[in-house]
Amino acid sequence: MRLASLPGVRMKIGLFIPCYIDAFYPNAGIATLELLEKLGQDVDYPMNQTCCGQPMANSGCNKDAAAAEALFVKNFAKYDVIVMPSGSCTHHVRDNFDAIEQTDEVRHVRENTFELVEFLHDVLKVEDFPWAEFPHKVGLHNSCGTLRALRTASMSELGEPFFSKPMDLLNKVRGISFATPKRPDECCGFGGTFSVTEEAVSAKMGADKVRDHHQAGAEYIVSADTSCMMHQQGCAERAGVPIRFIHIAEILNGARE
Amino acid sequence: MKVKPVNHAKAAEAFIEDTAHMDFHDERLWDLRQKRDEQMHLLPEWQDLRARASAIKEHTLANLPEYLEQFETNAKKNGIHVHWAADGAEHNRIVGEILEKHGAKSLIKSKSMVTEECCMREYLEPRGVVVTETDLGERIQQLDNQMPSHIVVPAVHKLIPDVAKIFAEHYHTDPNDNSAQSLAWQQRLAARPVILSADAGMTGGNFVVAETGSFVVCTNEGNADLSATVPGLHIATIGIERLVPRMADMGVFIRMLSRSALGSPITQYTTHFRGPQKGSEMHVVLVDNGRSHRLGMEDFWTSLKCIRCGACMNTCPVYRRSGGLSYGAVYSGPIGAIIDPTFNERKYSTLPFASTMNGSCTNVCPVKINIHEQLYKWRRVLAEHHELPFVKREVMHMAGKIMGQPTLYRAAINSTEAALSTMPRFVLYNWLNPWGKHRELPHPVKQTFHSWYKQNRLKTKKKEGEGA
Amino acid sequence: MSPSRDAILSRLRDNRPDPKPYPLPPVARLGDMDNGQARFENSLQILGGQVLERQEGDTLATAIARRFPDSKIICSAVPDFEGTIRIEELGTPQQAASVDVLVVRAPFGIAEMGSIYLSEAQLSDLNSAAHLTQHIVVILSAKNLTANMHTAYMDRPEFHTAKYGVLMSGPSATADIQGVLIRGAQGVRTLSVWWED
Repeated sequence: MRLASLPGVRMKIGLFIPCYIDAFYPNAGIATLELLEKLGQDVDYPMNQTCCGQPMANSGCNKDAAAAEALFVKNFAKYDVIVMPSGSCTHHVRDNFDAIEQTDEVRHVRENTFELVEFLHDVLKVEDFPWAEFPHKVGLHNSCGTLRALRTASMSELGEPFFSKPMDLLNKVRGISFATPKRPDECCGFGGTFSVTEEAVSAKMGADKVRDHHQAGAEYIVSADTSCMMHQQGCAERAGVPIRFIHIAEILNGARE
Repeated sequence: MKVKPVNHAKAAEAFIEDTAHMDFHDERLWDLRQKRDEQMHLLPEWQDLRARASAIKEHTLANLPEYLEQFETNAKKNGIHVHWAADGAEHNRIVGEILEKHGAKSLIKSKSMVTEECCMREYLEPRGVVVTETDLGERIQQLDNQMPSHIVVPAVHKLIPDVAKIFAEHYHTDPNDNSAQSLAWQQRLAARPVILSADAGMTGGNFVVAETGSFVVCTNEGNADLSATVPGLHIATIGIERLVPRMADMGVFIRMLSRSALGSPITQYTTHFRGPQKGSEMHVVLVDNGRSHRLGMEDFWTSLKCIRCGACMNTCPVYRRSGGLSYGAVYSGPIGAIIDPTFNERKYSTLPFASTMNGSCTNVCPVKINIHEQLYKWRRVLAEHHELPFVKREVMHMAGKIMGQPTLYRAAINSTEAALSTMPRFVLYNWLNPWGKHRELPHPVKQTFHSWYKQNRLKTKKKEGEGA
Repeated sequence: MSPSRDAILSRLRDNRPDPKPYPLPPVARLGDMDNGQARFENSLQILGGQVLERQEGDTLATAIARRFPDSKIICSAVPDFEGTIRIEELGTPQQAASVDVLVVRAPFGIAEMGSIYLSEAQLSDLNSAAHLTQHIVVILSAKNLTANMHTAYMDRPEFHTAKYGVLMSGPSATADIQGVLIRGAQGVRTLSVWWED
């Protein structure tokens, strides 16, 4: 059962910081932690955490994901909710985390894992971020995990009424404005190991994506997924597209640039 | 010799290097996707149609033997000869025998993916039958000796000068003709005499209606109708999964087929064949070729719902940037990547990995095939069947071990911390090297989150704890 | 009976999923139920077809003469229009290739798609004529319009009786060369509707 759906329950949050954020984008992790603390939450970062198992599972090597998944449960089972600034990791834990036996503990972890945006939007229902101001034009990148698996925004293929949880949150930030790329829902081409096994297509998709945002007038690409941005940043720098990257947690936490 | 897996990545790289073709290909197919969206927005009942189409197809597949028998009975009553082919070889033999019986030496045909599956042209031509594709795109591909690169627009990867060159070689037209209009006219002029003198005509079948013993063929050029009505012999080659129970079900499918494929409300021609025309003979060859086996695959049988609209290809960002031929298979794009491995697991083991699993294909599919989830499941199956490259398997095995042990993991990260001005070791690992080919590496940072937390939170928490 | 037939059917019986969770949904009558002439004409135009212009005092013959001034062989498949040749006089499917304009009456049209329906009944068993002719003129009554594909398939008996039944939605078309839309590919180069009544 989802504890987070019960009103008035004081939650103990376990913070999961994916490996690439830990190693390359610690600011996104720090912003996530500080933001949750500013919102009055009780947050712990279990020191023995590693990875959710996604890279192995997405490569088909599900058995190789078992140790990571078991460790993940060991680290996080004691928390009411697990929050992570990553859509694709959340998608893995929630939808595909089956290399290990599905015990009550495992089910508890899977059912109570949230991506940061949905946690802020759906669970905490944050009304405003008084400390946040970002007087820039940004292009919002919804990773395919957040868009089509977690459903934090409407999908163009279905013709459903527009909604966007990340945009709802960002709209509470003073001074921010949005650029509209021509293909907002197109995948940026990261795709985990796809980025190396299909290097040419991946890089082409990334370059097209950053050009699309740049041509729409975006100064920044903002996303809830650092893995997509790590890839896009690499493509932008190589292609000489002058655009900057920032995690949504950093903006909501009041980053000034 | 062992079959080598298709090298999609390499073919895609070559495709991308040819900027003019790649950019057109991407824009053209994206335009089809946009037109499909426009049509969807015009129909408030779109999602209802998808749900019904899916339900009808699932029902039909679960009752396929009964519906096939019903079709056979009705078709025979209507005067159609019905044949059954277990595989491509049997299909080709049946077609060859029908043609031989009629002394037919020239066969005109409209597009049929099943005949591509069966390699029918390659079988018939050495036996003295001249096979002529009548669909313009398919004809271009035939003359250029290539497979169709897309199931609906077979020559979508070619530009006008490519076609002019091919026509000049075969039709002796102007190699510098740069008008699509005039090239299409040349095809009409070249095709007419062949159509008028053909001994036999062949079509595929988009749908087969059990209730009436009919089959339905959809084209835009009218070439299926020409192939079926001009010669005195009509052979239709159809996959056994193409059934629908009732004629009234056709409304659901026809309303979505062309809208999904090309963003046009309907194909210019939607033709219902229920029996031979006067003075003519009609044969239907029902082809299995692996389909009955696929029906038994728990995770993959719903791929048989496919109505071959190509919407998944048009929306696929990988397909648009790699071209259909890079899949090295009759079926390309997302639907190809989940069907092809059922034909040859080793050869097509790379295709489920030629995807970011972004899920757009699943959303546009008019019969709601969960394509991206099947891609994910195929990866597992292929890994379990040892169809992954050795290096990838080893890297994942090693990564899995490290990720399972915090101390090993921290050591790996920390050793990178010491050498952050160069690059983390796991990024430098050979297998990951391609990252840097068209992309910069992430920038080094002074401190990992883990180490920041230890310094800025753990110590404080500890102090707070001591103070309490 | 071929051995493959039984082998295929038996494999399907062994392999198919349990049919119980997959009932056949009832037939659906969905969508816009407008069966008006305006909707039909709008759809026809989207698919590249046209309405044959009717000027003051026009007969079908004068309208065709104005629209297709260079046509020599005008073939009639209807009793109330003469033409230069009757469809019954074409001896073989191939002979229809000489026709410039075919005049035929459609039993019904579909407003959603601008489609007209023809079968062997309208084509005097010479189905090739509808495709080998350069141009086709289709006589249609607004009374015989059905709203959409659902109503067509549910209400029109022809889908159950004709051996050959084609829905033509505008002329033959292709976009196979660099995406350029070309009307008039392999089959008829134009399709015109002549409203009667």
